[in-house]
Amino acid sequence: MKTYFLASLAILLACYYVGSAFAADSGAGEVEMLVFPDAYSAGSVSNGGTISGVVKFEGDMPEMKVLEITKDQAVCGATEKYDESVVVGEGNALKNTIVYLIDVSKGKDFDKATKLEMDQKGCKFTPHVQIVPVGARLTMLNTDKVNHNVHIFSSINKPVNKQQTKNRRKMPLAGVKKAEGPVSVKCDIHGWMSAWIAYIPHPYFAVTNEKGEFTLEDVPAGTYKLGYWHEACGTNSGSPASVTVEAGGSVTQDFTLKLK
Amino acid sequence: MKKLSLFTICLIVLVGSWVVLRFAIGGIVSVPIPGSVIAMYMGLIIIAILVHISVEDSLFREFLRPIRETLVEDRRQVRRRVIAVLIPLFLLGYTYSIIAQRANPPGSPRDAHPSPPLELTYKDEVIGTMQDVVNPFRHYEKDDPEAFKAHVENGRRVYYQNCFYCHGDHLDGQGHFAPHLQPLPANFQDPGIIPNFQEAFFFWRIAKGGPGLPAAGTPWDSAMPIWENHLTKDEIWDVILFLSEYTGYQFRTFGEAH
Amino acid sequence: MKNRNVTLLMLVLGIVVGTLRCAVTYAQNAPEASEKGKEVYDQSCAHCHGTEGRGDGSAAENLLPRPRDFTRGLYKIRSTESGQLPTDQDLFDIITIGMPGSSMPGWETSLSADDRWEVVAYIKTFYDGFKAGEAPREISLDGKIPYAEQSVETGKGLYVELGCVECHGNIGRGDGTSAPTLTDEWGFQTWPANLAQSWNFRGGADTEAIFKRFIGGIAGSPMPAFEGDSFLHFGLTVEESKRLTELENKDEMTETEEAESEKFYEKMDAAVNLALNRTEGIELTAAEQQTYDDAMQVVYEKSWHLANYVKSLAPEQRPEPAIGKNVLRSQYVQDALPGMEDPVWETLQARHFPLVGQIVIEPRQFNPTIDSVDVKSFYNDTEVAFLFTWDDRTHTIGDETDETTGKPLEDALAIQFPVKVPQGPTAPKPYFLWGGRLPVYLWHWKASTPEQVTELTAKGINAAEVQEAQGALQAQGVYTDGQYKLWVKRALKTDDKKDLQLDPGVFVPIAFSAWDGANGDVDAKRVVSSWYTFVLEPVPSSRRFVYPPLIAILSLGLLFGLRAAVQRRNSVS
Repeated sequence: MKTYFLASLAILLACYYVGSAFAADSGAGEVEMLVFPDAYSAGSVSNGGTISGVVKFEGDMPEMKVLEITKDQAVCGATEKYDESVVVGEGNALKNTIVYLIDVSKGKDFDKATKLEMDQKGCKFTPHVQIVPVGARLTMLNTDKVNHNVHIFSSINKPVNKQQTKNRRKMPLAGVKKAEGPVSVKCDIHGWMSAWIAYIPHPYFAVTNEKGEFTLEDVPAGTYKLGYWHEACGTNSGSPASVTVEAGGSVTQDFTLKLK
Repeated sequence: MKKLSLFTICLIVLVGSWVVLRFAIGGIVSVPIPGSVIAMYMGLIIIAILVHISVEDSLFREFLRPIRETLVEDRRQVRRRVIAVLIPLFLLGYTYSIIAQRANPPGSPRDAHPSPPLELTYKDEVIGTMQDVVNPFRHYEKDDPEAFKAHVENGRRVYYQNCFYCHGDHLDGQGHFAPHLQPLPANFQDPGIIPNFQEAFFFWRIAKGGPGLPAAGTPWDSAMPIWENHLTKDEIWDVILFLSEYTGYQFRTFGEAH
Repeated sequence: MKNRNVTLLMLVLGIVVGTLRCAVTYAQNAPEASEKGKEVYDQSCAHCHGTEGRGDGSAAENLLPRPRDFTRGLYKIRSTESGQLPTDQDLFDIITIGMPGSSMPGWETSLSADDRWEVVAYIKTFYDGFKAGEAPREISLDGKIPYAEQSVETGKGLYVELGCVECHGNIGRGDGTSAPTLTDEWGFQTWPANLAQSWNFRGGADTEAIFKRFIGGIAGSPMPAFEGDSFLHFGLTVEESKRLTELENKDEMTETEEAESEKFYEKMDAAVNLALNRTEGIELTAAEQQTYDDAMQVVYEKSWHLANYVKSLAPEQRPEPAIGKNVLRSQYVQDALPGMEDPVWETLQARHFPLVGQIVIEPRQFNPTIDSVDVKSFYNDTEVAFLFTWDDRTHTIGDETDETTGKPLEDALAIQFPVKVPQGPTAPKPYFLWGGRLPVYLWHWKASTPEQVTELTAKGINAAEVQEAQGALQAQGVYTDGQYKLWVKRALKTDDKKDLQLDPGVFVPIAFSAWDGANGDVDAKRVVSSWYTFVLEPVPSSRRFVYPPLIAILSLGLLFGLRAAVQRRNSVS
């Protein structure tokens, strides 16, 4: 009897580990994940430093694929839509890269005033990459007067799958419990629509703009691992950049990424 | 209360027995009884009634009395007229239904256990005579249980990648494609299947599929593929091992009585 | 007396205990996970669901829908709210009944109830969310709105309003414009349910089951749940919602209308906020809970109407296949045969021919999307006309090509006959897959040329030849709302020796092949049927008006004769 109990316990544990190990790399398939600190304590930061830089794309600028608009032409097909997995601007600036502190354990709190919105105008998610603090509500906008279906392929948190009917201009989504991501966002109705959401546990995350620029402000003085994530170029989690921030100082760290 | 006449009692016994056979026994107690069986029982009951009423002259006369009364007596006029209408009407309807009955499609007689050829082949390669060929991996069962297990596991893989669509997860012939196939796929859980055949017979049926059947097996109807086109010889032997391992049935071996 | 009382008491006790036992077995919980559960799972489930429950067993590759991956705790068929785990009973029921339209069989006859419970316990070990042991929130079936025309009508309106049409199509045949691009959360292609084929509903087709799929969603699939935070006009009463829809559908609102709608939006925002709080685990006050419950009541009410509408779209059961008494009989008409749109077709009951994936010859189709073809037929003294209908979620006319063969992918149907009808039941027929040693005669229709049917002669699935003499057939085909309708007419007799010649009263073997281009069907990759039969139903013999009256008169005569005989005998005695 006892051996049975022990055996089932062992199996249970084994399955638990196998299961959780799998859960960590399932869902988004090949896409690599961000690395989050085990714990983070938020407080006020005085005399923090700034990390900024530019992310560039190495190699020939890939041609942006025109997406095939298969329905709702009047609204969705009004302008041409492109595959936004790699968006390169002037001077090879790489947009939509997440740059973040990997090993920060203490620092400022989230700016609660930041509006968290993702628009679906013209049957396209804007922004393409959105960072959302854990627990915060992201509002999905629909001004198109077409039906959308917001499907967020979370695996650590519960997946989100919500119909946003054509007249529903705003649809707030419940805050999530755990840091995760980035996870894929799709619209089941318009198969070409694609975006990414990262649920972040601390505010030291930035997404590069069309000039490839990012800025992390109010960083407490210290030495940090600076990581990046890009949908098509992957991450540097294996060998992150090391940056040292001095109190009140600013430091620059640029990255050059190429396709995986 | 008026005493029932013998004729009425006989009628009640007759109709009552039919109701009991058709609905009570063949419905509530067990599955419906075939019409021919019911007809046989009814015949026996009629004979019993006839014997009963004909043992004594008086009894027989008593039995015929209501019939005679109905036919001639004035006080039975209403009953007589009703019967004179009902019986011809019933016969009219019955004959019409028989004559107007639509023709039914011909059945397709099929030999479920067709006789195999004398020689077992894989593609064009002759393996041996049907009687002598044994599963080359069967001996591992005693000699090398580990190797045997590996073959069974490979057979399991082969089965679930190829066979289970029709023959089912549980090898019971109820795969998700099965309900719409005619003839139905074989049910290996049926105790009359595996124990009645040698492994070589199964090899033949698997390797050559439906088109390899003799005419009596209606080879044109069977959806069993010619598996030698998809599987290796070893894979077929492995899947045969798996069939008996999973079901627990032993294939017939040479020398045993049929 | 005392004894009697005791007996009575025992009887009552027995009944009470018996009922309790029933109640207990009804909502049972799984036992602790054990070795036995693993043993049963490995023997019966692992080949599809994988030894580690990831849905990656050796058979998984060729299956669509894919076997479920148990490691994420996402279960499609639940009696619990969205985002909740299934109850043990849910898992037990799915194992017991299986999932129609998928490769998941019911295990009721092949595994004992105890074994099935053991498997439930074992499956739960694949996802640690089950370990918390919290009872999932179950969907209440109270307040069910009974099936009625009015409810169906209301549901029909909601079907459009809620956007069901996007995937399930105008009248529910799964032909929505978004249907071809759907994937599940594992990235595998998935097709929306054809609501006209309720026999393929994975979780059963009763109204309660349909209702549960709305409130609970179908986890892992693109089917969203009807939840507070996303449901249309959540927080408004039915009347308010109606009014807001009116306002929203206006091209432009006046200022007062704008203000009116704004008030509605504020009310909705407040209710949505409560729903979000609830999802996030923030406890609601009693008043808030009441507001939420009231709002949810409307969601439930609308869902029942919608469930009734969905229920109305399909027959109660799959029609009986066209064998035995359901064999296809072409009906005789004296005049010209009806054209495709002639209402006279409605007077015939269609005969149902289920189709299965062709998995005998490469390339094979393991995941068919065409379920069946329904057939009606009329004939007159010179010609025969057929009306074929079959559901296909997509209208594919060869714009895209198959990667391996380079051939255009397009929807098609082929009707197969033997060239010569076998004489007698034991006479050989051609091989059911487009013939073999004996040839078959085929009518091949393609969606790109809907007015044309090509006559083929084939001696094998890859050995078909276009007949030299064409033009014997008239055809017309249309595609509407996820359904093809094909009308074909031919003379009973032709001059071509390679054609089948038709005579009334002769049972002719018939079989079908169908292709769904969007499902990759091309060449041998298709769905097929085995041989069925059809007959030009002979005009009933006129003898049926002669013999029955004759027999009736005879029997009457017999009765009179008997009476006369008895009378004579009486007078004699």
